[in-house]
Amino acid sequence: MEPSRQPKRQRTAQFDSGRDNRIKEEPDTAIFSDPHDELPFIAPPPSSQPEQAEQPSFDAELFTTIVGERLTTDKLKQLENAAGGNMERAINMYFDGSWKNTRPTQIANPLMKAARQQASKKRKESDPVIKAESTPEYTRPKNLPFDKRYLGVLQAEGWTTCSGTNLLQYGERVTIHREKLRTPAPAKKGTAAAKGAHLRQRKTADLIVRFKNSRGFEVGRLEQDMAKFVSVLIDQRLCSFDGTVVYAPEQCRMNDTVYLQLRVFLLGEAFDQNRNFKETRVVGDLFTIQETEEEKDVRQRQASLVRLFDKIGLEAVVKGSGMDAKKEILKAAESLEEIEAKSKAGTPKPVIKKEGGEEEEEEGEELEQDQLDELYRKAQSFDFDSPEAEPSETFAMDLRRYQKQALNWMLSKERNESLREGSMNPLWDEYKWPTVDEEGLELMDAGQGSFYANLYSGEMSLQFPKQEQNCLGGILADEMGLGKTIQMLALIHSNIPEGIEVPKQSNDLLPYEPKVHTIDYAPYTTLVVAPMSLLSQWESECDAASKPNTLKTMVYYAAGREDLRKLCTGHNLMSAPNVIITSYGTVLSEFSHISHTGTDRVLHGGLFSIRFNRIILDEAHNIKNRNSKTAKACYELEANHRWVLTGTPIVNRLEDLFSLVRFLRVEPWGNFAFWRTFITVPFEEKNFLKALDMVQTVLEPLVMRRTKDMKLPDGSPLVPLPPRDIMIEQIDLSEQERLVYDHIYNKVSATVNANIEGGTLFKSYTSILAQILRLRQSCCHPTLVRRKDVVADEEEADAARDAANGFADDMDLAALIDKFTASESQETQNVANVYGAHVLKQIKEESNISECPICMTEEIENLTVTGCFHAACKECWMQHIDYQKKHDKIPLCVACRAPINDRDLFEVIREPPSALPTPTIGTEPPSAPCLTQSSTEPTIRLRRLNRKSSSKINTLISKLLSFKSASPPDLSKSIVFSQFTSFLDLIEPELKLSGIPYLRLDGTTPQATRKSILSRFSDSPLPLVLLLSLRTGGVGLNLVAAQNVFLMDPWWSWAVESQAIDRVHRMGQKGKVRVWRFVVRGSVEERMLRVQEKKKFLAGTLGMMGKEEMRSERIEDIKVLLGK
Amino acid sequence: MSLPKRILKETERLRNEKDTGIKATIHGDNLRYFDVEINGPEGSPYEGGVFELELFLPEDYPMSPPKVRFLTKIYHPNIDRLGRICLDILKNNWSPALQIRTVLLSIQALLGAPNPDDPLANDVAQKWKEDENAAKATARQWTKEYAKKVSDQKEEA
Repeated sequence: MEPSRQPKRQRTAQFDSGRDNRIKEEPDTAIFSDPHDELPFIAPPPSSQPEQAEQPSFDAELFTTIVGERLTTDKLKQLENAAGGNMERAINMYFDGSWKNTRPTQIANPLMKAARQQASKKRKESDPVIKAESTPEYTRPKNLPFDKRYLGVLQAEGWTTCSGTNLLQYGERVTIHREKLRTPAPAKKGTAAAKGAHLRQRKTADLIVRFKNSRGFEVGRLEQDMAKFVSVLIDQRLCSFDGTVVYAPEQCRMNDTVYLQLRVFLLGEAFDQNRNFKETRVVGDLFTIQETEEEKDVRQRQASLVRLFDKIGLEAVVKGSGMDAKKEILKAAESLEEIEAKSKAGTPKPVIKKEGGEEEEEEGEELEQDQLDELYRKAQSFDFDSPEAEPSETFAMDLRRYQKQALNWMLSKERNESLREGSMNPLWDEYKWPTVDEEGLELMDAGQGSFYANLYSGEMSLQFPKQEQNCLGGILADEMGLGKTIQMLALIHSNIPEGIEVPKQSNDLLPYEPKVHTIDYAPYTTLVVAPMSLLSQWESECDAASKPNTLKTMVYYAAGREDLRKLCTGHNLMSAPNVIITSYGTVLSEFSHISHTGTDRVLHGGLFSIRFNRIILDEAHNIKNRNSKTAKACYELEANHRWVLTGTPIVNRLEDLFSLVRFLRVEPWGNFAFWRTFITVPFEEKNFLKALDMVQTVLEPLVMRRTKDMKLPDGSPLVPLPPRDIMIEQIDLSEQERLVYDHIYNKVSATVNANIEGGTLFKSYTSILAQILRLRQSCCHPTLVRRKDVVADEEEADAARDAANGFADDMDLAALIDKFTASESQETQNVANVYGAHVLKQIKEESNISECPICMTEEIENLTVTGCFHAACKECWMQHIDYQKKHDKIPLCVACRAPINDRDLFEVIREPPSALPTPTIGTEPPSAPCLTQSSTEPTIRLRRLNRKSSSKINTLISKLLSFKSASPPDLSKSIVFSQFTSFLDLIEPELKLSGIPYLRLDGTTPQATRKSILSRFSDSPLPLVLLLSLRTGGVGLNLVAAQNVFLMDPWWSWAVESQAIDRVHRMGQKGKVRVWRFVVRGSVEERMLRVQEKKKFLAGTLGMMGKEEMRSERIEDIKVLLGK
Repeated sequence: MSLPKRILKETERLRNEKDTGIKATIHGDNLRYFDVEINGPEGSPYEGGVFELELFLPEDYPMSPPKVRFLTKIYHPNIDRLGRICLDILKNNWSPALQIRTVLLSIQALLGAPNPDDPLANDVAQKWKEDENAAKATARQWTKEYAKKVSDQKEEA
């Protein structure tokens, strides 16, 4: 064995990229010891040579004192070379790690140099397999309490790989060892090729565990089940094994079974605290991309350990979590392996995630509604008599009782810093060392009675694992509209850390010098992370909730970023902003920046450079996917107190909650292995009760959740909200609209039929969905069908493009739409230009006419005049014109018999002679002519009667106008929601023509403008209309200034519409809320309502479902929609 | 189909109609069917006579014109033996802005100003063109013979 040793040793020196360079390099000790050296404890390795012996110019002693670590001779040499003999540089290089990238140029030891040459020669000629026993990737620290220690025995089967007589004999000692494929020479770090090579090697690294007989011949392999975990334990340097032959045939043939008894030793290294187990801890450095590999290591390690403990019958004496996890962990590991096996069998998925595109595959099964209900039930059992807390003086708002109770709860969560003294970390278990060996002989005692193992990460420790930190925050999961923001602001005001020392004045004289590598604490600053659309709302609520000058707020995003360290820490403490509001996008982009460029998080000066007093994640379901980069970025933010706000802590998977818990750093649940073991796996195994019970255990101490329909003990509602009326406004399509609709309907129907027959419904899902989308659009406005850029829903966007192209070839449809739009082109023509003020005057005089000439009604409804200035009701004109056309006559004016042109009909809009300011907000100067003589005279305005406008738009306009002309005028504000921004585009000019002041907000509105739009909407005395895209406005916004809601088109799920309504009908709403849901009679929209009804109970999907599930669900919907 | 408000309103107004020499009353139960009397205009061969007509409002009234017919025999170039009237507003020139009253007034005017160039009763029109005085005499004769007297009408009232 000896001759082969040197080259291997040398290789270590060459390739050891240093898992942990602080660990002192040692001449290799046989970890897989000589079979004769079978005492549980190996004699200490020969001490290393004095390192500094050969370094006259480079004072190694001094170096060692400075860096505080002992390095091996060749490492020192390497450093010295890299630094060109410069001591200072060497120290710097040592600390920043750059020296590792340099190759040793000189080999100090001539013997080793020779060995190296020999090795490289040998490598060239021999197979690429190099014995693992001699390639320690990881070098053992010197100060271990022991090398290895006996743990127990297990029975193993093996099979022979060669034949012969007396290969193995009863009682013969065998050595157990692993062979590993040679690690390729570390090519340039980070290149794709290197990673790829690494991966390939990984995959092919099999699980073979070989054994040699006492003469050193390799005779066989361990049977696979055993090898599976033994290999991992050996590879990961946790254990070593040796064996005794229990049975072996005298005459061995290939593939004969042999029975072995394996003795297991825990290696001292397993207990080394410096091992790089970082990523398994919650507080890990996640700025690395290659996480999945490490995660896999962890998983294998933990599973192998559990299997080992199981096989040798080792039982924990104290279980940290109080639960017997062994079975669960095994189950979890197995299920993962199954998944892995499956995915390997199927299309192989790249393990390395692409850096650009976020791969957000969701995992875990979806919850049924009744399960969700069950989950929430416990969390919602709110004690109405729980104590209240008064907010601080500086808080300017009044809290409701339940809000004060929440404040009290939050304060107690934040202040609960006292940990139960000496409680064990719940992830750890305590084990006793065996006192006797397998033959009952007493073992030598190393003074350690027990050891500790974390079966969720595979970590081992000899020290008692204390629970480090409790979660000083929680989940405020009140339903929307209960004032989560206000409650948080009360908390911000009411719990300000005391006794923080402001750095002395003298420091001010010194220029600010950032301390490198330490994350400074910003004790007075709370970070709020919210979706972009809510930033300005947070800002204004901060102002509203605070007495003047008591709360400094800062919005932090994109432009104008500052060094937060300067702002919030050090001697600027007193002027530090109390609340920094930022978006998820900002967090993500800073995170990506740091992880891609490798900038130091502290030096970056951004969100990651300081430790906040408190972090609040608003709409925290944004991080529900733990694999999303946003979630990972959020985990990395540092704070004393961590809170999440969400109305839906579980959207549709239990894993949604995990991500929140992980963010909160709640031990042990923040450990995914733990979570998987106790929640995901039982749930997947349909052991629902158990899983849900566990989740409740997690939720109970963490979550405060109240719902709007909760009743106080006296029966009164928790939050009295003004009533709301939801009305379905049935719309009848005009004849021409109907033609377009029917055309598309027949087409879709045919497609679906064909696909149902062919069984290809799922395949052609996208195109069908797109066609249905068109169908829905045609209910709104026929010309929408032609637009390509219509869809708010990403899922549908591509499909929509296809459909647009498909329809482009459809000449019939084109003709239909053309017919519809024939006279629309001049729509924008200014009436005043054509007819002049003269017309208006005349109308004004004539508009006193007492009755309609057609229906003889005295109060003319929607007085409408022709181009020849003759007036009648709008409806009467329509009827007349339609009648004439139907009888192939040219419609004539009923009064003068002049031909009437459809386009030249104008609705007369008389504005009450009120003192209303001229509406200028949002609209351009009114394009319809105005005639104002004095403020007491009514203003008259003409609106071209756009018969080519859609029925929906017409209905909307007349509704809005009817508010205006009501007596007294109804000045309430209205919100118009549509999921099609291009539909909003079409509504806009109509509002303009009718002189209805409006504002608009959609996804394209820049953040800076949003705030001013919202405040204009709230502050204006005018009966403004706000056009909102359902996607933008559906979530979060507070629009209590409005009382009327128009939902122009139904969405797939009621939850989304309901959310939109709740923007208006929420806390702070003072008036009755009226909601009109526009639905075209006898159309796909009516059936959508039925689909909605069917799943009204589903938790708000908010478009956050996975692609697949959304599809299969919608296919069902499609069938309903088309009556299949 | 329900009766449009307009018809009720017109009926109501016709009831109060005075001094114009036209009269329309609902016939029996049918609110769309009217009995009409028109006085022959002064200075015309029909003066002194009261002519009876029937008037029916079709379903799509007022989009389409009412149907009117003379019941009293009359000698007029634009009215045929069956009492059918040739009047543009009852056909192509109908406008929904016209009402029963205006239609009847137009018919009255037609009596005062026959238009033999656009005849319905060709023989009458021929006569009218050849010898207007003789034709008017016949008309007067017929009025006396077939139409009620204005005086009778007053007595009835």
